Amino acid sequence: MEANGEETNPGFDPNKNYDEDTLAQQREIEKEIAAAQSMVSQLYTFDEIVEEYSQEDAIYRQKVEDLKTRFKNLRKTRGDGNCFYRAFGFAYLEILLSNAKEYKRFFDVAQKSKDELIGLGFPQFTLEDFHDTFMDVVKMVEKPGTVDALLNAFNDGGLSDYFVVYLRLLVSGHLQQNADLYIYFIDGERTVKEFCSQEVEPMGKESDHIHIVSLTKALQVPICVEYMDREGDKCNSFTFNPFEGSADTTDPTPVFTLLYRPGHYDILYPL
Amino acid sequence: MAGSALKRLMAEYKQLTLNPPEGIIAGPVDEENFFEWEALIMGPADTCFAGGVFPARLSFPSDYPLSPPKMKFTCEIFHPNIYTDGRVCISILHAPGDDPMGYETSAERWSPVQSVEKILLSVVSMLSEPNDESAANVDAAKTWRDDRKGFDEIAKVTVRKSLGL
Repeated sequence: MEANGEETNPGFDPNKNYDEDTLAQQREIEKEIAAAQSMVSQLYTFDEIVEEYSQEDAIYRQKVEDLKTRFKNLRKTRGDGNCFYRAFGFAYLEILLSNAKEYKRFFDVAQKSKDELIGLGFPQFTLEDFHDTFMDVVKMVEKPGTVDALLNAFNDGGLSDYFVVYLRLLVSGHLQQNADLYIYFIDGERTVKEFCSQEVEPMGKESDHIHIVSLTKALQVPICVEYMDREGDKCNSFTFNPFEGSADTTDPTPVFTLLYRPGHYDILYPL
Repeated sequence: MAGSALKRLMAEYKQLTLNPPEGIIAGPVDEENFFEWEALIMGPADTCFAGGVFPARLSFPSDYPLSPPKMKFTCEIFHPNIYTDGRVCISILHAPGDDPMGYETSAERWSPVQSVEKILLSVVSMLSEPNDESAANVDAAKTWRDDRKGFDEIAKVTVRKSLGL
């Protein structure tokens, strides 16, 4: 690869690696975000949320009013590209605190998932590291668990980030297991495995529709997402029903609801 | 127990000591600091680097294995994917999007389930099969492409030097 056009920029130093400067700057921005936002926040009211939008921003202000008619509170997650997984993980475990039957089901699915992932070719040695920590966090539900203990765990990088990594592996595993189905939903000339290693497994990679479908199916957890964008005057809600199209007659009522604002997921609490 | 870089690095060190991959030795420079490792990599057989023993350093970030380590050869080595200062530039040392070389999409990237062993094995295959499409050392890439004999000669000198001859 020859470097062309260097002469046209007198300030260009060919011995300097500018890409690394860009990456270093990116790291700095990530640090600022980390310092300013908790990974999972305390509860907010919508009166606090509405202040994020200027008086002139009528559409968003109106949509916050719409949310107020159905939801009481909101918990914010850190905008670090992992927000969907963190919101999903926290909201779900919080629900499990008061649903022993669903906890038991989930615990078994989570326990078994390790061998399935190893069967798909994930390296056992490093996978176990994440699975162990994942299960430690899951078990906090039965200790008996409290919302505060979960909140602390989800704000402890060594637990919270490892939990996110494992959810990412579950998504990757589900996509790979059903590659013939998902290949049509992947853009670019990529295999499902390549998509997983580029867009799912690495930390900080944001989630799209396909990630959500995959996680709800992998764990068999129906969820609802309220979409808050510039279209219309109400939020559009969408239910991800993992049982759709199957013979499974499990109740598809969403277990919890997330709020999507362009590029970001938070957790909603109903009235 | 919470996941942590230290716990993971200690486990990887143990694993590498118990089951060392062929031609690779790696471990912390001193056991007080698990975030700086030294590695010795043997030039793969039947390549121009065969017989050489190349020392390198690995520096791990505090959020390892969420982020990859950096790797740098501490000896002289003329290779398309190694900067002249020794830094190694291969796809597995970068998360997707963090790739200054714009690797082809199928190349293996860093993810938290990768490991030191996977990196070192990738470096061994990089020594056998340089990638002149994403060169860190443009001279080396040109020589590799246009003057293979010359490249092999330089490699031979590097091998001898690496053995202190």
